[in-house]
Amino acid sequence: MSQNDVPDTEAQTNAGGETRSDPDDSLVRTDVRATGSTGHGGSNETVVETRDLDVYYGDERAIDDVSMEIPEHQVTALIGPSGCGKSTFLRCVNRMNDLIDVARVEGTITLRGTDIYDSDVDPVALRRKVGMVFQKPNPFPKSIRDNVAYGLEVQGRDVTEDRIEESLRAAALWEEVKDQLDESGLALSGGQQQRLCIARAIAPDPEIVLMDEPTSALDPVAASKIEDLIDELVEDYTVVIVTHNMQQAARISDKTAVFLTGGELVEFDDTTTVFENPDDDRVEDYITGKFG
Amino acid sequence: MAVERDTADSGFGEVSRIKGIAFRYLSFGASVIGILALAALLVYVFVDAFDLANASPEWLLTYFLTLVAPFIGFCLYSAGDRELLGRTVLALGGGLLGTAVAFEAIELLVRPIPRLTWPVAYLFVVAVPVVGYVLFAGAQKPVGRTGFGLLGRPVGGATLGTAVAMLFIVFDMRLWFLVYTLGIFPAGLVRAYGGLRGAGRLAGLSVPIGVVGVVAAAFLRNVIRTYPTSPLIFAWTFGVPIAFAAATLVGSRGASRESAAAVGVVSLVAAGLGTTLGSSALPDGSTVLVLAATVAPTATYLHRTVESGEGLSGLALPVLLGGGALAGAAIVGAFGIPAPDPWLDPGFVTEAPSRNAVEAGLYPAIVGSVIIIAIVALLSFVLGVGAAVFLEEYTADTGIVGGITRIIQINIANLAAVPSVVYGLLGLGLFANLLGFGFGTAVTASLTLSLLILPITVISAQEAIRSVPNDLRQASYGMGATRWQTTKNVVLPEALPGILTGTILALGRAIGETAPLIMIGAATTVFSAPNDVWSRFSAMPMQIFAWSDFPQAEFRYGVVAAGVVTLLIVLLSMNATAIIIRNKMERGT
Repeated sequence: MSQNDVPDTEAQTNAGGETRSDPDDSLVRTDVRATGSTGHGGSNETVVETRDLDVYYGDERAIDDVSMEIPEHQVTALIGPSGCGKSTFLRCVNRMNDLIDVARVEGTITLRGTDIYDSDVDPVALRRKVGMVFQKPNPFPKSIRDNVAYGLEVQGRDVTEDRIEESLRAAALWEEVKDQLDESGLALSGGQQQRLCIARAIAPDPEIVLMDEPTSALDPVAASKIEDLIDELVEDYTVVIVTHNMQQAARISDKTAVFLTGGELVEFDDTTTVFENPDDDRVEDYITGKFG
Repeated sequence: MAVERDTADSGFGEVSRIKGIAFRYLSFGASVIGILALAALLVYVFVDAFDLANASPEWLLTYFLTLVAPFIGFCLYSAGDRELLGRTVLALGGGLLGTAVAFEAIELLVRPIPRLTWPVAYLFVVAVPVVGYVLFAGAQKPVGRTGFGLLGRPVGGATLGTAVAMLFIVFDMRLWFLVYTLGIFPAGLVRAYGGLRGAGRLAGLSVPIGVVGVVAAAFLRNVIRTYPTSPLIFAWTFGVPIAFAAATLVGSRGASRESAAAVGVVSLVAAGLGTTLGSSALPDGSTVLVLAATVAPTATYLHRTVESGEGLSGLALPVLLGGGALAGAAIVGAFGIPAPDPWLDPGFVTEAPSRNAVEAGLYPAIVGSVIIIAIVALLSFVLGVGAAVFLEEYTADTGIVGGITRIIQINIANLAAVPSVVYGLLGLGLFANLLGFGFGTAVTASLTLSLLILPITVISAQEAIRSVPNDLRQASYGMGATRWQTTKNVVLPEALPGILTGTILALGRAIGETAPLIMIGAATTVFSAPNDVWSRFSAMPMQIFAWSDFPQAEFRYGVVAAGVVTLLIVLLSMNATAIIIRNKMERGT
């Protein structure tokens, strides 16, 4: 995307804000969407944009001058070796890094044109628009129903049975748990717990869902269920996923960003391009397993 | 054992375990030495408190046969284990012989053992452990579980009811009446109605309504001149809600409307009976509370047991024990068997101290201790949890703030090690002198003891909060929860069992403290229970300490022992209540 699109993006912000209140929102989007390279269409409109992003932990630089544009209704995968800053980048998008005392962010990240690190942006309000799923399934030690309802409750919205069912259906968990909604979320298997966490993240209907290695603690069967789920989620949400598994990135993502040690973004392009014909030799070495 | 086996031909060589085995037995010795010392002390205290030294062998035998033997029989029946039966008989019989021989041998060869006879020694060395063991085995099975459950509910209910009733000796019953009627009752109604209609916002209103009601109650206390009589207040504020709660509980278990109503009515009638009965030591009408707290849980438990039909024969246990006690008393009376004259009798816990050892009672000191502990529990819990939440959840780990936090942490840890006498001095200077709360008043004592245990509660609450997995906090923040919402919804519920454990331990220390009470000028002996928090009081350890100094031997042995046993019973029931609450919470999550 070029600079010329920026005003356009801002105009879309308003449009986006309006459609969010429209109940038929998702239907319209599904109809409009064209087919893309991996099956996800999307309007190619930028939702999150970073400019010259640097993140420091104390004196140590974790992200080095990263600029990228994350498109709407697509899956963007962040790959790279351990400690390369993928998770740090992800946690900048919903300002979870604010919770770490020593973390310092420079540069800008905009969400539909608004700088999220602006002083008048409330990080708590931001996180209500940007949901997150963590590496280790972390359901609350509450009932399945209360887990899904948590986001609605803390945001002061009405909790309805319909919304709980809808979220669990969207997370492909409803059929398995519909008779045990009052049982503890911890009683589920690891894969089910992770899907519960996804249901919990999407129940308040965020715009973006961030996933930090959501399948790394799961067995291959559970992981493939999550992958299928991501494929469906992207119809309604913009998904950004960190993964260690390059096959996974190739399978599910539309765009891939490759980070290398030092927090440097070395390549960001369509997934097919990154995996088949990368610009940078280091990316090719990494993908083919020569290092990392 | 591995070392004894001949391993020469196994081809693997031999690994020496001698050090490991020696270490294992040393560790075992270390773990039992304290328990044995405490057990020996407890034996002597119990022997003195119940005058067992003067118990004739016939008396012991009678009660062994009417009370202990049927109880063991019940436990064995419940356990349904033939092997256990054999072992029990062997232990009881062999123990009888062994204790008798060993006891006589020591008396003959070494020196006479003071205030013990071999039947009493048998009671403590063999009978009590055997009873404990079969009780444990029996309680694992449905019959025993039912029996002990049925026994535990009225006992627990009566204890709790009595403790709460005791608080009204000091706290204003009429203010409570207004607070309940104007604040708690309407708030509860609104919450229940909101819950029924599924309207979360309406239920949220209950807190402001309650607060407004409580404030209004405080204002109206002196404006309103006429109040219902105390039995009516107890019936309205405790009898009715307890009966209602029992009925709701039964209803929520899927029972029919009729049986739920029946349980409620039974509880209500029991409470109503209480209005007609007087009580000697407790506030007028508090029998209502004690009866309601006793009958309601018993009725719900009976209902559940009958409904499930599991271990029904266990319901005979109270009859068995009651009948056994009556039969024993009848036999003792009929044959004129000399019975011991226990120091710890009903009069001891309901009467005031006296110069005469036989008439001496602990009642004012028990009330004093219960009042103080109630205030200390409330204060130290609120302050301790507050401080711990602030230090763990709200302060930064780094920078200047982090440095200050660390200094505070270290100081709290140091405060936990400050001797209690020093806290007594602090209480004397700060609360008694400077703030003018008075010397030896319940307020001064409560505040001083709260400060004394505050570091312990803060540190244990911090540990509990720190042990809440960070994943859960992250998940909550990630959902767009504020820090307060995360603390309230995720951190505190998860940490509460741990926090309660620490608070229970700390309260156990507070109830036994004597030194700070001496420093703030608490009386060693008062002859009437405190009637408000500003009056002078005495606490159980103070009174026991005073008695131990009396010249008469009856005081130093009998009365002190009875006081110690009472103190331990109060302490244990307090801990048991807290532990039951904690376990319920743990299961709830």
